[in-house]
Amino acid sequence: MKFDSKEFIKGLIKENPTFVLALGLCPTLAVSTALTNGLGMGIAATFVLIGSNIFISLIKNIVPDKIRIPCYIVVIATFVTITELFMKAYSPALNRALGIYVPLIVVNCIVLGRAEAYASKSSVSNSIMDALGMGLGFTLALLLISGIREILGLGTFFGYKIIKSYEPMFIFALPSGALLVIGLLMGFLNLLKNKKT
Amino acid sequence: MNKLTVSYSPHLHTNQSCAKIMWSVFASLLPAGIAAIFIFGAAALWVILLGVISALVTEGLLQYFNKKKITLSDGSAALTGLLLSYNLPANSPWWLVVIGSFFSVFIGKQIFGGLGQNIFNPALVGRVFLMTCWPKYMTNFMKPLDAGINFFKSFNYDAVTAATPLMMAKEGKAVIDISYWDLFLGKHGGCLGEVCILALLAGALFLLLKKYISWHIPIIYIATVGVFSWIFGSKGLFSGDFLFSILSGGLILGAFFMATDYVTSPLTRKGQAIFAAGCGILTVVIRLWGGYPEGVSYAILMMNAATPIIDRYTKNRIFGR
Amino acid sequence: MKEVLKYGLILSAICLIASGLLAGVYSFTKPQIDKQAQNEIDKALTQVVPQANRFEPVQSTDEILYYRGYDKNNKLAGFIFKARAKGYSSTIETLVGLSLQKKIIAIKVIAQNETPGLGSRVTEKTFIQQFTNKNANELSNVSAISGATISSSAVIASVKEKLEKIQNILK
Repeated sequence: MKFDSKEFIKGLIKENPTFVLALGLCPTLAVSTALTNGLGMGIAATFVLIGSNIFISLIKNIVPDKIRIPCYIVVIATFVTITELFMKAYSPALNRALGIYVPLIVVNCIVLGRAEAYASKSSVSNSIMDALGMGLGFTLALLLISGIREILGLGTFFGYKIIKSYEPMFIFALPSGALLVIGLLMGFLNLLKNKKT
Repeated sequence: MNKLTVSYSPHLHTNQSCAKIMWSVFASLLPAGIAAIFIFGAAALWVILLGVISALVTEGLLQYFNKKKITLSDGSAALTGLLLSYNLPANSPWWLVVIGSFFSVFIGKQIFGGLGQNIFNPALVGRVFLMTCWPKYMTNFMKPLDAGINFFKSFNYDAVTAATPLMMAKEGKAVIDISYWDLFLGKHGGCLGEVCILALLAGALFLLLKKYISWHIPIIYIATVGVFSWIFGSKGLFSGDFLFSILSGGLILGAFFMATDYVTSPLTRKGQAIFAAGCGILTVVIRLWGGYPEGVSYAILMMNAATPIIDRYTKNRIFGR
Repeated sequence: MKEVLKYGLILSAICLIASGLLAGVYSFTKPQIDKQAQNEIDKALTQVVPQANRFEPVQSTDEILYYRGYDKNNKLAGFIFKARAKGYSSTIETLVGLSLQKKIIAIKVIAQNETPGLGSRVTEKTFIQQFTNKNANELSNVSAISGATISSSAVIASVKEKLEKIQNILK
């Protein structure tokens, strides 16, 4: 098996699923209220991505084109349910914080998007690298967004209070704050990109 | 962007400049500010000064760092700061005013490309941001100064808080002890620029006479709010208090000075009528059934968002087609 | 026709593998999940009746009316019931711990989705602590949070109403 590091790196910045591909924004908006939630969601999605990418890459030659979408969804849903069961068993607090957004990973566009656009056409090894890169890119984006939102919206960092007399800006704990942060970050990244070229 | 180009064709040339109109609006708002200083004392003056100055500083710095022409003299930033401070309680802490002004100018205006490009009224963007961030401070209104304490004695005055008439109405308490006359003069809790209807109307009259604003948006807006509040009164249909709904809250300030913003309201008369009626209905809906006691700012912002669609469907027919 | 059959077979094969996998994971995690759920209930119950460490639900036909809490000597230490009411923008659920004298030991808001910064302040200590040591009649002395009157009144009213209804059947 040959692992191509290019397939891994592209997901981090150049094809970052959140900021560049703008995929999976719904869970991003919903769960990025605190760093632990962001991290949990990122890891869960990465696990599902790796599982589904491997599996779909394996069965890509068996599955006829016409029924590929139901097949992919079954595979993805299986991995999501596995993730949810494990989360419930070993981290119920995180499961409660993420709520409905864990089962909703099934319809997270990143997972189906990578299955359809990448894993169904690539070797298993490259699919793993792609899943790792995309998953990590998604996790990093979530950490960035949830970090900003947690510090501004709750005044805490991973649950620890930073400044005592800080008056939290509640908007950042709400979905409207999430849209604001994502919009500003996307604009900022585009600004950097334009400056480079 | 210096000339006013805010209508579909045909166009007429006038010698109005953007700066002249902006400063006129600014001047027309001053009576309400002076009234606020009479009602709430020195605290109101600080909030107003801080709001205007921080808006100017924000605009200047942003334009400097963006290497754009610095256009502080066109008055739009000063006006935004003034309007924002009018939307705050007189006892706001200083950082609330500064952050609000910064947000208004930065997110409300400059990020869209500056004057003329913004979708939403910048001052209202700032107000709603503050309202969502620190509702505790934004709904903690100062009671008007007691009789016997004038402006000069008010520097070390400990603010007493009071609910606004609309808050009392929303919580189901009867608002008996406030007469229409008190509402009209502004002797009640509220945002500092919205309380004195008399001063606001004086400023509005000046703008109307100078033809800087037309009567369509404010009158239709206010009438809609009045009629709908009357229809959906708390004691059954057609029992609402028409005058109370008009005189309380930020309706007069919003209708005359914020809904009429050239940049964010429709261009044609028909469009303006739809816009104003929409504002009115949304205001009543929020006041009666929404999560907040006052809905003027949200109503105007929502209709701001609808302005491009309204404009598209109410465009004047091109002559000859 | 042949094609449909083939597709059906492939899809069912994949589903079969998937369900087998899931069944395995489910039976593996089931005991742990049940344990966690029980822990969670116990933990919430302990917070409102700290003296107790064992809880027993008292059921009518199909719903849990209240819990009895027993201390470590297996003596009855208190009762716990759930009150719920419509607040400003959500249903607020409150867990109430009662002493044997039918006085409130502590309350805990376990579910709410009120306006952050206003209604959500019903979870704050200063409000919650007012309930301690009050019986049903004294609850009207609990003062609502200014700026969050509707949410806090809903909590007070729901606790009072449920307490009045339930205190005679507690034993």
